[in-house]
Amino acid sequence: MTRFEAIGLVRRWLTDEPVVVSLGHPAYDLFAAGDRDLNFYTWGSMGLTSSIALGLALARPDRMVVALDGDGSLLMNLGSLATIGDCAPPNLVVFVLDNGLYGTTGGQPTPTSRGADLEAAAKSMGIARTATVRNEGSLQEALAAIRKTSGPWVVVVKVEESAPIAKPPLDCVLIKQRFMVALGQP
Amino acid sequence: MTDPRSQTAANPSADAVIPRWATGVAAGLWAAGCRDIVYVPDNPLSHILAALLRHHTEVRTLLAMREEEALGIAAGLYLGGARPAVLMQSSGVGNTLNAIGSLLIPYQVPVMLVVSMRGDPGEWNSAQVPMGRAVAPVLDAFGVQHLTVERDEEAEGKVLALASLAFGTRLPAACLLPRRLTVPVRGGVA
Repeated sequence: MTRFEAIGLVRRWLTDEPVVVSLGHPAYDLFAAGDRDLNFYTWGSMGLTSSIALGLALARPDRMVVALDGDGSLLMNLGSLATIGDCAPPNLVVFVLDNGLYGTTGGQPTPTSRGADLEAAAKSMGIARTATVRNEGSLQEALAAIRKTSGPWVVVVKVEESAPIAKPPLDCVLIKQRFMVALGQP
Repeated sequence: MTDPRSQTAANPSADAVIPRWATGVAAGLWAAGCRDIVYVPDNPLSHILAALLRHHTEVRTLLAMREEEALGIAAGLYLGGARPAVLMQSSGVGNTLNAIGSLLIPYQVPVMLVVSMRGDPGEWNSAQVPMGRAVAPVLDAFGVQHLTVERDEEAEGKVLALASLAFGTRLPAACLLPRRLTVPVRGGVA
């Protein structure tokens, strides 16, 4: 399963959930899989995807909030797992698209390529629901489980790197403004 | 869905004396509509958290592991309709810079920053001095407006003015709390 295939599956599963997506290839793939106002594309602040999603989940307990993070990105802000475990928002779902490398910066390997286990990290920080999926079938099962069981969830999605085919809009204010309007914020 | 539990930062005894500047900062944040306060701990900041707990019980406080992370959480809170504030020590400002430069400013996400200073007059730890001295120039380099509270009675007004600027113009702003305010007598171990 490539990252693009995994993000495509998640994208088709979405209904009205706001999504915060990590900069670079995950953001490019989400845009290519299907742009929508409820996609918050980051263009910087590497590592903060799960933190932004956490804040949104706390502000909007009425909505399920989805983060699409990468392994390199989450490793840059691993303390976020402790914070998520600590405040335990039931409406937060973090997908970690784990290709074992820094795909956007030239393909250097990350520690997950040598055994670092981000699901174990999430579990050990007290996050209630975790999974590691390695193919489309098990990702589909996890997506179905998320619909039935409240979180917080951390789902590590083992993927292969794939070449991005499109890029989201570069206007950061436009991205934010349409996202907030779609969430019903002034 | 149930609300996630709100974290409580401090449990001051009922008769604990809260400094006036801290009561003022808390009142300014409240008046500005800040109901979500993300923080990385510091001794002077604990007075603000105590004042919030005592006088403004509707405020939700949230502990972050690191200051850059705190700004990410605050940005998400803003996207969800909140007016977030982040409390940190001056040393932590150094950990926030990429979040200020690549998230808050380009996306026009306002966050009210409250910074307890180290490295200024009264400091005893040389390791605190370089980052403390760099805080104001670094904020200036990003164009983040800031004020320093010199006296107890200024705190509420300066926080409110900065927060009004932040949330009105959708940019971060910072209120700096120097040691001569927060540790005025001993000037010693903070």
